Amino acid sequence: MSTKNNRILAPEGGRYPFKVSDEYFDNLTARIMEQIDSVEQEVPAKVEEAPAQSAKLFSIHKNRRRNLWFSTISIAASLVLIVTVALKFIPTPSSTPVEQQKAETTVQYTPDNYNEDLMNYTMVDNVDVYYYLASEGDFEE
Amino acid sequence: MAKIDEQDILKRIQDPQSKRKAFEEIVNVYSRQLYWKIHYVVQNHDDTDDVLQNTFIKAWRGLDNFKGDSAIFTWLYRIAYNESITFLKQKKQMSSIDDEDFVEQASFVADEYFDGDNTQQLLMQAVSTLPAKQRQVFCMKYFEDKKYEEISDLVGTSVGALKASYHIAVEKITTFIKSKE
Repeated sequence: MSTKNNRILAPEGGRYPFKVSDEYFDNLTARIMEQIDSVEQEVPAKVEEAPAQSAKLFSIHKNRRRNLWFSTISIAASLVLIVTVALKFIPTPSSTPVEQQKAETTVQYTPDNYNEDLMNYTMVDNVDVYYYLASEGDFEE
Repeated sequence: MAKIDEQDILKRIQDPQSKRKAFEEIVNVYSRQLYWKIHYVVQNHDDTDDVLQNTFIKAWRGLDNFKGDSAIFTWLYRIAYNESITFLKQKKQMSSIDDEDFVEQASFVADEYFDGDNTQQLLMQAVSTLPAKQRQVFCMKYFEDKKYEEISDLVGTSVGALKASYHIAVEKITTFIKSKE
């Protein structure tokens, strides 16, 4: 260690090189007790505010819960109504399962009426269909 | 320093009628010692004043939980140390400086409470580079000449660890001063 270091870090220690006036310490206790008194006054005020805030929160939760119930009941009622109306318009099968299957097959493989309706609906004619099939390579001229 | 009868104070703290007066005595007796312990960490009068007030407010709020398991000063010291560290962290966040133990070295020059020459200023600059706990240990040993056993009771660290910490602190300070020569 250099001479300077030896001088700075004296083996016997040193004096802490800061000072504070005695006046500061004379008033310190009074100032701290004032602070504590003001903190003590703030605490009861906060405690009084707390129930009002929790009541408001409770009210918000209560309203939310009530709205949720109304929404659930409304959705359920709408679904019941839709299902009831839908069931009225869907024709009930009068034939046996075998006849029903035959009817489905008939509808699927009877092209005339079905295709005409489909072509009208999609606004294409036979020429369009012909060109489409030709372009796909499925149909040769 | 005025002496305090800890058993008597403990009794009076538990009585709501005498609690405030008893606490006032505690503040009166220990504020000066605590001031310097906090100053070792924050190294600035205004900051020390803020931390000291916060320390006593925290102590007042926790007074009902204090059962006398440790000496009153030890209890206060630990609150003060934690408050000092919290303060340094907040200061670090505000100044966005990465080193939480950073202390602006140039502040000693303008500090009206600094009462030393250039050599002491250099020493304090070196001390300010130490981590907070090491700074505390160094200051208590070097400036107050406290025994390791006393420091150990206060900070809750073993004597061996304190000796090692002090030795490392001296080495760091020596290196810092050499770098400034």
